[in-house]
Amino acid sequence: MKFRCERDVLVEALGISGRAVSRGGLPGLSGVRAELAGDQLSLTGSDLDLTITIDVTVAGERDGVAVVPARLASDIVRALEPGAVSISAEADELSISAGRSNFSIRLIAADDFPQIAGLPEESVSLSCNQLAEALRQVIPAASGDDSRPILTGVLLAAEADGLRLVATDSYRLSMRDVAGVSVLAEGQSVLIPSRALNELNRILGQADKVELRLGEREASFEVGSVKLVTRLIEGEFPNYRGLIPDTHPNVLTVSRDELLDALRRVKLLARETTPVRLEMSEEGLELVAVTQDVGTAREQVEGSYVGSPLTVAFNPQYLLEGIEVAKAEQITLSTIDELKPALVRIAGVEEFLYLLMPVRVS
Amino acid sequence: MTGPPSAESTKLRKSATIMHVDMDAFFVSVEMRENPSLVGKPVVVGGTGARGVVAAANYEARVFGIHSAMPSAVAKRACPHAVFVAGNHKLYSQVSQGLMDIFERVTPLVEPLSLDEAFLDVAGAERLLGPAPEIARQVRQTVWDEQRLHCSVGIAGSKLVAKLASQDAKPRIVERQVLRGLGVKVVPVGTETEYLWPLPVRAMWGVGPKTEERLTQFGIRTVGELAEVPLDVLIGAVGRASGVHLHAVANGRDDRPVEPNRPAKSISNEETFGTDLTDPVQLHTELVRLADSVAGRLRSSGFRGRTISIKVRYPSFKTLTRSVTLKRPTDSGNKILHVADQLFSELDVSQGVRLLGLGVSGLVSQSTDQLSFDDLAKEPNGAETIDVVVDEIRSKFGSGAIGPATLVRNDEGASRLDRKEKGRQQWGPIESVEGPCDDYPGGRM
Repeated sequence: MKFRCERDVLVEALGISGRAVSRGGLPGLSGVRAELAGDQLSLTGSDLDLTITIDVTVAGERDGVAVVPARLASDIVRALEPGAVSISAEADELSISAGRSNFSIRLIAADDFPQIAGLPEESVSLSCNQLAEALRQVIPAASGDDSRPILTGVLLAAEADGLRLVATDSYRLSMRDVAGVSVLAEGQSVLIPSRALNELNRILGQADKVELRLGEREASFEVGSVKLVTRLIEGEFPNYRGLIPDTHPNVLTVSRDELLDALRRVKLLARETTPVRLEMSEEGLELVAVTQDVGTAREQVEGSYVGSPLTVAFNPQYLLEGIEVAKAEQITLSTIDELKPALVRIAGVEEFLYLLMPVRVS
Repeated sequence: MTGPPSAESTKLRKSATIMHVDMDAFFVSVEMRENPSLVGKPVVVGGTGARGVVAAANYEARVFGIHSAMPSAVAKRACPHAVFVAGNHKLYSQVSQGLMDIFERVTPLVEPLSLDEAFLDVAGAERLLGPAPEIARQVRQTVWDEQRLHCSVGIAGSKLVAKLASQDAKPRIVERQVLRGLGVKVVPVGTETEYLWPLPVRAMWGVGPKTEERLTQFGIRTVGELAEVPLDVLIGAVGRASGVHLHAVANGRDDRPVEPNRPAKSISNEETFGTDLTDPVQLHTELVRLADSVAGRLRSSGFRGRTISIKVRYPSFKTLTRSVTLKRPTDSGNKILHVADQLFSELDVSQGVRLLGLGVSGLVSQSTDQLSFDDLAKEPNGAETIDVVVDEIRSKFGSGAIGPATLVRNDEGASRLDRKEKGRQQWGPIESVEGPCDDYPGGRM
């Protein structure tokens, strides 16, 4: 394999494909697979669960395949002077030259690199902007705890009028409907690792449309010249519908930005496991955080409240993440009592909801 | 802090529930335990070289006026037949760990001060283990049973007074005779100043030779005299920080909490059986008893734990532990039992079980409990509610009033609950012929 290209093209390509490379995992997976055919260079990184491939155009001289150490190659190329870079792979060595710099590094055996399963030809096209917005709203609620793998995924389900995305870590649940998008057959749903969707979100800005393909065990997303393939999570997503209460007797309507700012300030005094208390009455809302031996924070937030006076405590981070993704002028917080799930919604909008369990204060 | 004490600074306890446990002649006692030929002789642990100093002396040696920090050469002159031992810090640390473990079985609120002394806050433990003086008695018994060491306990409403009281409980030397100490000394809440004021100022924490000298210059010799000095005068004499502290404590105001410097690590119970158990039903019953007891202690101390572990000692003394970490912390007896049962079922117990233990670690304070959607699925009258009711009944009618049905025994026609209680088998099998210390054959920990 031998080619020349601009340093910046290679830096970006190694950066994107390298994000799927596992750190400290199997030695065969610490590399990026480079394949040159004509002027087309494909770089692929994979950790078996997630595979990212990017195609770039280079000045090809000799076709071939090589697996290069991802971190090292990326660090070297990034450090070179701007301009043209020459790459060639001979036997088990990769040489990188630019200007007066010459590097020669050991390659990784190509046989160790995982094979990617085939996916169906037919694809569904989605708007990148629409998907990106929906992902930003649900991903934060997915669990990072591998002891319950199902909850580390985001559910994509077909709903009557479109696509629904749901994620929950059992403490909060975020749900977003995207109307008019039919990706799945009616009643069908898939569970996609949130880590893969996080990576997808980083590249969605590169094109207007994303092509989605669903296989038995994998799903692929194609954005421009980047293709992301992820394993699907097997298993039954919890029955989230039953969690969402039909009615909430108490509804608080506030300015989202004001609440966000106040919460960020009061959160400074909610250390470790201390919750933030929301004291709601006709007068509006007061946020209170008290950490023993540290101090107290209080802040009033203007708002309209319908219902009986109530104090509910929340993990400030969970509440913050829900409000952050409810991008609107006015939001509502609906509550039942201090032990039942509360609901964050955008005022007058049905397609998004964030359900949050309180913290019990004894 | 210059005005009258605010409500914040006088969160005084309603009853004496702070214990200060102090080992008697710790280093030397450990040496005597390891080498019984030393018993009855004056023994000194310390450097034996020309510049060596005494680290510790037993009471027999103290009769000759030997005390810690005295040059070894002087000690030798005072008592030429005393046995000098170099000391084994590693061993002392090991023994200390064993002691702290005993304390932590009483309450997670243990604040070690050094290898051989610690504060215990037993306010929560009282509900299960009885009043503080009874807990102190149990602690002394366990320390003796498990470590063959003596300790003295001071009980008061504050750390300062508890620490002074433990010194009062110690053995003392009168006319070259060692007199047995009280073992436990209680200073009831409300009588602190009465107790403190006759004491010389140097008895107080924070009064070293320098401060003592300075106070003497002002004619202050006793704590009572110190208490009468206006705060600003005292600050002028000994500086602000020291003055404020001394003024408060001399007036019996010391609200420093017992602060475990290692956060409460675990709550556990274990039981050594009189005869090795092989019957699975009986073993299950023991697990029920342990789970009930550990869960009760978790709740009374305001903790929940995530990691549940069991310990099984076989007749061969081979000891296994198995543990599992739950997604969410629990203090429910049923939940703990369920997990312990599963862990237990994976062990081969055909050879019999000599000791069974159950512990919960990974403790978090109960006061902040992030609810989860899983909680919504629970029965409204589920296990958690039962635990609350059980605790209430026990606090009113005593710990034997209610418990798991598995623990009901028939004694001569009358049913009674065979709950696990501290001071019962905790310290060793009741029916053992060899006595309670056969837990450690061929030497101790």
